[in-house]
Amino acid sequence: MAREFDHLFKLLIIGDSGVGKSCLLLRFADNTFSGSYITTIGVDFKIRTLEINGERVKLQIWDTAGQERFRTITSTYYRGTHGVIVVYDVTNGESFANVKRWLHEIEQNCDVVNKVLVGNKNDCPSRKVVVTEDAQRFASQMNIPLFETSAKENINVEEMFLTITKMVLRSKLEMKERQNVTANDTVNLKRSHKTKKKCC
Amino acid sequence: MIFASKMPSLRIDQSDLKCKNGCDYFGNPQWQGYCSKCHRELLQRQRRAEKASSATLPKPEQKKPERGIKLASHSSFSKFEEKRLRQSETLKKANLLKFSVFKKSSTDEHDHTPERKPPEFKIPALINEGMKREFRVRFTNLPPQVDRDARVFVHSFIMDVIKCSNVMTVDELSERVQRHYQHFMKYMDTSPHFANAESEIKELLIDFVEKHAMTYLHDLPGVVFSPIGTEDERLDRAMSERIQQLSWVGEKHLECKLDRTDSACSQLLYKAISELLAVDGAAGPGGKLSRVRRACRHVLALCGASASADDLLPALIFTVLKANPPRLVSNINFVTRFCNAQRLMTGEGGYYFTNLCCAVSFIENLTAESLNMDKKEFDCYMAMPASIGGSTWAAALSLCGAAREAAEQRAAARALLADVATLRAEADLLAANADSFEKEIAFKVNDVLANTPLEIKPRREPLRLSSLRNSSIPLIDLETPVDTPAPMKPSEDIPQIKLPEIMPVEEPVTVTFDRTTDEKITQNIIDFQSLEKPSPPKSPQNQPWELKQTGSFELLTPSPLGFTPFDSRSIDELMTPDDFGSDHLAPGLSNINYDIDLSDFSGDNSLAEDTPKEPKDPFSPDGIKKEPVFDPFQPQTSQSSYKNVLEKFDEFSLIDSKSNETSEAFEVVHRTQDSCTPAAAEEPGDPFSPVQKEASILDDSGSPTSACLLPSPLQPQTR
Repeated sequence: MAREFDHLFKLLIIGDSGVGKSCLLLRFADNTFSGSYITTIGVDFKIRTLEINGERVKLQIWDTAGQERFRTITSTYYRGTHGVIVVYDVTNGESFANVKRWLHEIEQNCDVVNKVLVGNKNDCPSRKVVVTEDAQRFASQMNIPLFETSAKENINVEEMFLTITKMVLRSKLEMKERQNVTANDTVNLKRSHKTKKKCC
Repeated sequence: MIFASKMPSLRIDQSDLKCKNGCDYFGNPQWQGYCSKCHRELLQRQRRAEKASSATLPKPEQKKPERGIKLASHSSFSKFEEKRLRQSETLKKANLLKFSVFKKSSTDEHDHTPERKPPEFKIPALINEGMKREFRVRFTNLPPQVDRDARVFVHSFIMDVIKCSNVMTVDELSERVQRHYQHFMKYMDTSPHFANAESEIKELLIDFVEKHAMTYLHDLPGVVFSPIGTEDERLDRAMSERIQQLSWVGEKHLECKLDRTDSACSQLLYKAISELLAVDGAAGPGGKLSRVRRACRHVLALCGASASADDLLPALIFTVLKANPPRLVSNINFVTRFCNAQRLMTGEGGYYFTNLCCAVSFIENLTAESLNMDKKEFDCYMAMPASIGGSTWAAALSLCGAAREAAEQRAAARALLADVATLRAEADLLAANADSFEKEIAFKVNDVLANTPLEIKPRREPLRLSSLRNSSIPLIDLETPVDTPAPMKPSEDIPQIKLPEIMPVEEPVTVTFDRTTDEKITQNIIDFQSLEKPSPPKSPQNQPWELKQTGSFELLTPSPLGFTPFDSRSIDELMTPDDFGSDHLAPGLSNINYDIDLSDFSGDNSLAEDTPKEPKDPFSPDGIKKEPVFDPFQPQTSQSSYKNVLEKFDEFSLIDSKSNETSEAFEVVHRTQDSCTPAAAEEPGDPFSPVQKEASILDDSGSPTSACLLPSPLQPQTR
């Protein structure tokens, strides 16, 4: 099968307004490297194809509105999402405090989803408010990998996206294996279903 | 649950579809599921089969009451009933009797078991045709087998959905539809026809299938679009009212960067709104989704170049508020339920649709907090009648609409102008052609004219000569001098004579005004004019018909000769084309002259007798009373041969008197000539006068100037 990708993942970027979600997205999408292609549709909707372990992965990254007032209504964004990138601003303590609420939001809308915590704007040490240690402690407590990035200086952005993609891919493959384990049951169901269909 | 519910219905269908004898023929419900052959042979088995089918039936019936209860609890029962009725009607229309049968069958299954299979049901041929056509255009690389498979799939898909729509809740139906999509995708993955097909083509194909299946189902009321058992319609109304109530919400409340004064901005907003409004009209989830996508692209452009989701969502909310799209909730629910889930969760369309869903749910749950404003103020705004708020934007948008309309009008006007230009060019071309044609014709005519006179001249001489020969000798003397000189010569001679002649004419007219009543005056004037004018036609010296007239109006001719130089010229001009004709006629006429004179006497007398009475009375007193001047003239005329004739002329006196005065030499000659011709018939002297009066009558009827000139030439021609 001639397919330009083996997997299609949908990623979601959430976080307070002004933490630099769109900048992260722009940086990731505009940075080209071999074996990838970019389709720019809008600033808030990006597609990028990566190659991980010989498998081509197409990423669709959805930007979301971060305003407080829209928090309650973003549930529709989570439908069919494979991975979520929670972003906070290292120069803004409040945005870090809100991470907990965002994580809660995710829990409410998704059963199982891969998450990654990102402290953006990590390019000006003098203005940094959220200490790395605090963030790391919180991240390990929630069992979420932490990245401190700078979209401006292009620090850690690529790694962060690669990591979340790998996580999503791994979990998908695991899911497939699990499905194969329970394949017998499903096959039975399908067979019975098929016989019913023949009845029709 | 879904499987359980499907089981029984499926089995029933099998028993209906095939003849139970195992032959390949389809069973007929009238024969209880057997083909006609097997029906009679296997009566016993038929009974058993009946029992079996009756045993299987109760399950779906048990299901239905459940659903009815559920629905009743969902919404008001009356509404449910109403919808149900409506649906049954539409289903009957679509020849889907099956469902009404199903409904009724709850009471007595046995009667309806044979009717369960709906032989009438058919997917409209339109779908098949449409699919075939579109498939050929869009998927040229795929084998025809795929086309057939797709159509079979759509067929079974529609059948299944319609069948299940009455039995399942909307969510179950949605699930089933999604399973159908997955089924088709699996078919594409496994089918050998798609071994080399790209994933994009597969996506297109599934869109294609979805489009055709859902477009048909979309139009069936209550099946997939705002289905029975949901509150979609009520929510639509509620949403519409709420949006209307929120019309005061402006761009400031939502903190989006929109400039209402910027025309480009309002143009984009206008486009986005019109796309959103078009969502309702689009059939099928794919079409609706693409509309949403276009609308959101406009909104995104509205936000500026570096817009992010933080800007997009507020702007989209604002757009939705200003658009207030019809049946918004129904449309969104329809897409979420029956669009291919794979696409709805991914891709640009999915993303924008998700944003739209967010916008709608934001509007639903909008509070003072979400607008960052005081609750009191918010309540105050909400209590306001809907018509007050948002007038500025409404104005801006209406301006946009007007601008767009103006643009359309301008385009139309431009097209019209172009049409006019082409028309004008064509008209010019036509005019040029006409001109050239005219010139050509004129040239040809000139050529002909140049050629023909040469031919005619020789003709004239012999003809006239012949006519002269036929006529008496004295005529030859007259004509020869007239003919031989060019037409100009007499005109040159005559003008000298004219001037004195005209003067006397005017004098008597003035006199008549004084003496006579208005009616008489008019008559007199006309008569004078007529008298003057009949004279000129006779005067044209060259014309052959003069000869006739001279024949007929012998006594008049002498006088007109003096008057006529102008008239003669005018007649020459008028008659130039006819000259030749007249010339041709002339000899003939001149030959006929004698006959005509006789006919004139007989034919005209009858007319003249009536008419002359009226004119005569005014004339005779006027003419006689007016001017004693005539008396002296009369003797002059009396000097000439015929007194009787002259007396008659005295009635029309003026001309005669003038002619007598002015051109004696001509007159004398004429009269001598005339005398010769009438001399043969003195008695008809009376008829001559009526002939003269004829001219006067003709003059009365026509305009004085032209009529006087024309009738005289016409008379000879006709005769």
